[in-house]
Amino acid sequence: MRFRHRRAVAKPQVATDSKEMVSLTCLEEGKSGVIAYTHGGCGLVRRLAEMGLTPGVEVKLLRKCPFRGPLEIEVRGTALALGYGVASKVFVKPSRTEANG
Amino acid sequence: MRLAMASLQKFLSNPQGLKLMGKQLRIALAGNANVGKSVIFNQLTGLNQIVGNWPGKTVERAEGTLHFEGYTIRIIDLPGIYSLSTFSMEEIVSRDYIATEKPDVIVNVVDASMLERNLYFTLQLLELDPPIILNLNQVDFAAKKGIKIDAEKLSSALGVPVTQTVAITGAGINELLSTVIAVATGEEQFKPLRVTYGKEIEKRVQTIEKLVSTKLPQICAVYPARWIAIKLLERDEDVSGKIRNYENGKEVLEYAEKLAGELEKIHGEPSPVIIASERYSLATKIAKAVTTVETPPKISLEQKIDALTTHKILGYPILAGILAAIFALIFIGGNFVSAGFDYTFGILTSQTANVLSQFLPEIAVDLINKGVLSGVFAGISVALPYIVPFYILLALLEDSGYLPRAAFLMDNFMHKIGLHGKAFIPLMLGYGCNVPACIGCRIMETQRERLLSAFVVVLIPCAARTVVILGLVGRFVGLHAALGLYIFDLVLVFALGRIAFKVLPGEPVGLIMEMPPYKRPSIKNILVKTWSRTRDFVFIAFPIIIAGSLAIVALDATGFTNYIVNGASPLISGWLGLPVLAGIPLIFGILRKELTLILLAELIPLQSLTAVQMIVFALVTMIYIPCLATIAALKREFGWRKALTITLIDVGLALFLGGIAYRILSI
Repeated sequence: MRFRHRRAVAKPQVATDSKEMVSLTCLEEGKSGVIAYTHGGCGLVRRLAEMGLTPGVEVKLLRKCPFRGPLEIEVRGTALALGYGVASKVFVKPSRTEANG
Repeated sequence: MRLAMASLQKFLSNPQGLKLMGKQLRIALAGNANVGKSVIFNQLTGLNQIVGNWPGKTVERAEGTLHFEGYTIRIIDLPGIYSLSTFSMEEIVSRDYIATEKPDVIVNVVDASMLERNLYFTLQLLELDPPIILNLNQVDFAAKKGIKIDAEKLSSALGVPVTQTVAITGAGINELLSTVIAVATGEEQFKPLRVTYGKEIEKRVQTIEKLVSTKLPQICAVYPARWIAIKLLERDEDVSGKIRNYENGKEVLEYAEKLAGELEKIHGEPSPVIIASERYSLATKIAKAVTTVETPPKISLEQKIDALTTHKILGYPILAGILAAIFALIFIGGNFVSAGFDYTFGILTSQTANVLSQFLPEIAVDLINKGVLSGVFAGISVALPYIVPFYILLALLEDSGYLPRAAFLMDNFMHKIGLHGKAFIPLMLGYGCNVPACIGCRIMETQRERLLSAFVVVLIPCAARTVVILGLVGRFVGLHAALGLYIFDLVLVFALGRIAFKVLPGEPVGLIMEMPPYKRPSIKNILVKTWSRTRDFVFIAFPIIIAGSLAIVALDATGFTNYIVNGASPLISGWLGLPVLAGIPLIFGILRKELTLILLAELIPLQSLTAVQMIVFALVTMIYIPCLATIAALKREFGWRKALTITLIDVGLALFLGGIAYRILSI
């Protein structure tokens, strides 16, 4: 199982073709980003889209737990908790002009 | 009877009367999780559907009836879902219900403070083409956040009536009902918005729609052709599965698949994502147009609590502290109250025995005293002091919105046993009663995860087992020993969960969960909930306790006890080191776990047991078998085979561990 976790985490570095895009897990707390794409199984991608995580939408990382714990994000006015594995499959373009929040 | 006839005659002679008989309506409540559907349902029907501040409580649709202005209205509370796709059983069940049962009105309950996300669901409802009312709920909470929604504007944007409620207080419920009737009778005319997509999608939707309506007229009788077309373009497995069986089904499917492929080539994204994005952009547009954020809200107390309780470091000691406080309160408080009851009931029993023996034969006195009275007294003195406070505290956790936070914090840990954070919620509920906890496992997404969670949930000591652990070990051996049993149980849950996780085939799923805002719990709701849960205990458990006690007296009188005792003695006394009589309560304990202690006390003076025997007895009771109600719940959720497998594993495990514990502790 450990192996499976590692692989899921290692993937992002391979998949990020543009330097600007980072996985949601790499975003700092309190920072926002615009979703570029999500990858993973068809079910997961669809599920994320239905929960509002569609390309082009802005998300804000509210907090992340240590040791590859879950993340809490704000998207479309709601707070969502995402497991580390799920969040590592969501890629965002970090927003430069940071609104204070 | 005469009166009834007279009123029936009057009813029939009245020209309006016959029409009145047909005045039956069916309405369904639909919407996202945790928007307050169940609260509205309770307000409408006066029933007590369990409500609480965590997404996924309503796992089964609840039904109720109400009478309003001469109408008999049946109300169905559908489970909360975020979409009408095929992600979960609930979604498929809900959309099939709406399409095939065709309720007169769908009340789409919407959380006014999260309009955008909620409208995504509304748009999908509109595609199914039922008569809809959009009900903005929790408008007070939205106002507190500085959010104001122009209901009229929203109504004209969507083309459906919009009502507003604060369900908790009941404000707006009557207006909602009047609107329901106006829509159902056709008094209120409206023209629902036709959700249209971008050019590329729209073109393809319309082509498939035409094809579906000409080639598959049978399915168009149930579902709107346009909806089928959209679902096919979204690669909806359930819909394509339904269509495949029809004569021209394959042809339509292949064509839709081709068009979906084209779409993906243009956009470079999977087609479900393209369509979801389009729906969301429409939802955003509408939400923006009707919402005014008046004052950017100040950081509220709730937000401060939120930040603290989900803090990446502080969150954990707080979680541990809350759980420790709950147990301390029940351990110590329950013990204290229980001892008080015991004293009072002790005096009462001996007094009644004295009085009764003056004019009744000895056997009758025994039957009344030992069977009925001591059963009832034991039920009250052993069970209620632990069960009621537990339910109150659990309700507090549920209603405040803390459970999802705990689930969030525990996500990492739960992954170790192949589950994700959400499974922590049924696990917590399991400390109250395993039955709702087993059903609550439906908040997990896949069948595999549901089974895995249910498997660990039945190992959680419910309130009834707490009674045995605290009433026996806690009282006579000491609280440290009781606490030791609880910790041992957690270790066991972890170890077994991990084994089951490795054994069961399938991939673990990640956590995606809405975090509802903290809410001030309503005292009324907590009391109502505690009462309805305690009522189950009183009305279901007490008859069983009395019957069990009577059976023991009867067994004793007829000499059957020896029979059973001799048969079970190698196992009970040889392997587990318990007094042979302890086998009887363990058998009856299958009905209710607290019965084991109550019956044990009637058979053997508890003080005569050694500390080791008490611990072994409590340990076996804690694990040995889920009670009948839990087995029934398991059967309903997973079928006989899995329910029996879990039961057998638990029995084997309990006997194995009990024997080992006896040998280790005796050293």
